[in-house]
Amino acid sequence: MNYFKNARLSTKLFLLLSMVTFIIFGTITLVTFSIVRDLTLNSQKEKALLLIDTVSPTVSLSLFLGLNDLGSKLSSITHREEVIALQIIDLKGKVLLNYRQHIPAEPYQTINVTEDLVEPSTLKPIGSITLTYSGEEFTKTMNRFYTLYGWISISVFSILWLMILWINRLLLPITLIARKVRNYKPGTKITFDLPFTQREFTHIVHSFESMQESVIAYSDEIESINKNLEIKIAEQTHKATQHLYYDPLTSLPNRIKLQEDLLRQPTNTVAILNIDDFKEINDFFGIDAGDWLLTQIASWFHELKLNPYRIGGDEFAFRSHDGHSPAQFQHDIESLLSSLNEKLFMISDETVHVRATVGIAIDSTKPLIHADIALNKARSAKQLYSTYDQFEGIEQQYKNNIAMSAQIRQALVEHRIVCQYQPIISCENGKIEKFETLVRIQNEDGSLIAPCEFLPIAQKTKLYHQITQEVIYQACRLFMGRHEQFSVNLSGSDILDQRTVTTIENILRQTGTADRIIFEILESEGIENFEEVALFITRMKGLGAKFAIDDFGTGYSNFENILKLNVDILKIDGSLIKSIDQNPRNRIVVEAIVHFAHKIGIDTVAEFVSSEEILRHVEDLGITYAQGFHTGKPQFLNQQLM
Amino acid sequence: MRAVLLLLFSTILAFAGDSFITKAHARIVPKIMALDTSLTSKSDPSKKNFAVVYDSNQKSEAQSIADEINKIYNGKVAALYFSAIPVSANELFERKDIAFVYVVHNCNPKILEKIAAWSIENTVPAFSYDVADLEYGILGSIAIERSTIIYVNKKTLKKGKFHFDETLYHIARFIE
Repeated sequence: MNYFKNARLSTKLFLLLSMVTFIIFGTITLVTFSIVRDLTLNSQKEKALLLIDTVSPTVSLSLFLGLNDLGSKLSSITHREEVIALQIIDLKGKVLLNYRQHIPAEPYQTINVTEDLVEPSTLKPIGSITLTYSGEEFTKTMNRFYTLYGWISISVFSILWLMILWINRLLLPITLIARKVRNYKPGTKITFDLPFTQREFTHIVHSFESMQESVIAYSDEIESINKNLEIKIAEQTHKATQHLYYDPLTSLPNRIKLQEDLLRQPTNTVAILNIDDFKEINDFFGIDAGDWLLTQIASWFHELKLNPYRIGGDEFAFRSHDGHSPAQFQHDIESLLSSLNEKLFMISDETVHVRATVGIAIDSTKPLIHADIALNKARSAKQLYSTYDQFEGIEQQYKNNIAMSAQIRQALVEHRIVCQYQPIISCENGKIEKFETLVRIQNEDGSLIAPCEFLPIAQKTKLYHQITQEVIYQACRLFMGRHEQFSVNLSGSDILDQRTVTTIENILRQTGTADRIIFEILESEGIENFEEVALFITRMKGLGAKFAIDDFGTGYSNFENILKLNVDILKIDGSLIKSIDQNPRNRIVVEAIVHFAHKIGIDTVAEFVSSEEILRHVEDLGITYAQGFHTGKPQFLNQQLM
Repeated sequence: MRAVLLLLFSTILAFAGDSFITKAHARIVPKIMALDTSLTSKSDPSKKNFAVVYDSNQKSEAQSIADEINKIYNGKVAALYFSAIPVSANELFERKDIAFVYVVHNCNPKILEKIAAWSIENTVPAFSYDVADLEYGILGSIAIERSTIIYVNKKTLKKGKFHFDETLYHIARFIE
């Protein structure tokens, strides 16, 4: 079927014509054959019947009368060659006459005709006569018919063949046109030399030629447009490249360009320079002035032939070039920092002194990362510059921090942030009156991670507030069913975070523990964020909460601020307590703190009470409460009253 | 003696030949009656009389022939009911119920002529034993020779306006 679909037009026409011819001719042949055969056969039968009719009356009468002269009655027909046999049978089946003239030489078909013999008067059957008639004439007639039809068939199929040749010739121009057009390309010109042509093909050729002219015209136009587009694209590509690889403000190559340049060598020596406190310049002089300053700095770097890159807002990078040793590069950076220290830049008729910190990575496979680590290290150490040292393990520390951060998130989701509670006993009667809430992460195996391992990382990853909220929630829920006071540590950032403050307030209201909670704030936090902390204290004290200054005595305490904060308890730093029995100086400091507390009417708590000796000293000094491994280790509590 | 034996033999032979012909006639003649279209076209279902006519002392022969016919046909030929009866020539002329006449052997020529005239007048076909009787105006006779031939007197056929089935004319031999 697919072959027919894909066949050539001439093949299709050939097959169609052949099929139609075969069907029509076959039908006509069959019908004609049938008619001729029936006519011939009937004609021969008629002849036979006619012969019978000529003798039938006399034979009937002879038979009726019982005359034994049937032979003489039939003699008029039996001499005819076409009569092969004649048989007369009476009603009982008795053969009255059986005549056979001769056996035909050729096996022609014979025709048997039987007719009843009847009584002349009553027409009642009295027997039958069967004439076997020669089919020679029938066979000869049919043979003549076959011969005639053979010739007709040859003529018809010859005409059909000639028609097919004619169709092929008629369609030849299409094949020629198709061959020519097959490899046509816009812009080329094809000429058609057809050997003969019909009007339709002339039209096709003319149409195609006119199409060619249009295509050539369009092609020229497209070529022209294409050239213009190529120029535009080249311009745009240049612009895009500039945009992609160069900083639009300073026209210096950017981070992407630096990264691509670094890829050319397996190891590179790179320095990243960060302008210190650039945010302050932006805030003070405005962003436009900041941009102007950056432009001046970039220009100055360029003048110094340092081939700078601008890789961030206030960050520039320098790459050591071929032939420069790491020592030379480091020297160049030191010179740059030295020159920068003396250099003055102008912003709005004002001179600005710019400071910078530099991180250097020498022969590094990850120069940008390592230089950045070195920069952070220099900032932390408040150095002018720092060089990356793989043996410092900073990368490992980063990895650990990232892993711990993930662990904290997981613990929050799986509710594995748990609290232990360390008893605080009264020095007066030795009874547990308070507990300090201490946060832990409980591993899946049940082991605990100490807060010093995860809280600093939590502060960096902004998970600290969620931990604080979880700890306060758990502690308040626990002490709803208990009577002791309990303390919770708060950082300055917790107090500054409005969402945490609101959550704390809601928890206190829901659990009704506001009058037994003590918030522990570091002395340093209270001083650094004095106003916010004072406001928070006022707000929580309104609910009934108490406040303690944690690790008191180690910082540069400002007693006036402590008084203004209106705290209830001073928790004396453990470093003063743990050697109070051996170090008289510590004892003097503690005595002063206790004296101060007594004077303003607030309680004191001694931390790190790890022995009976220390406890005795604490009691002697008049400290109100003691907390440490000696008086009680951190433990899990349940809601039942002790 | 020899002459006596020869005469006796020829007499016996003649008698045997007459008997054969008579029997053949007894078989064929009623059927010729059945071919008379004036009889068969009538829807009259009454029995027809087939008269076996004799002259003078031939009554027993006529009776014998009539008996033979009745025995063969049992009162019916084709669709025609009939009865074969011996009838003397004189009686024949008086009767009106005769449908067909068969004249026995050796009848007087004058009687034959009268019978022929009666036959024509009453349109009753008359056949006789002897073909020679056709000279006296008898309508037909049957000759039993090598083959059986029916002879018909063409003149009497026309005169008497007899009508037989056409096929009879195909096989009959006409005598002028």
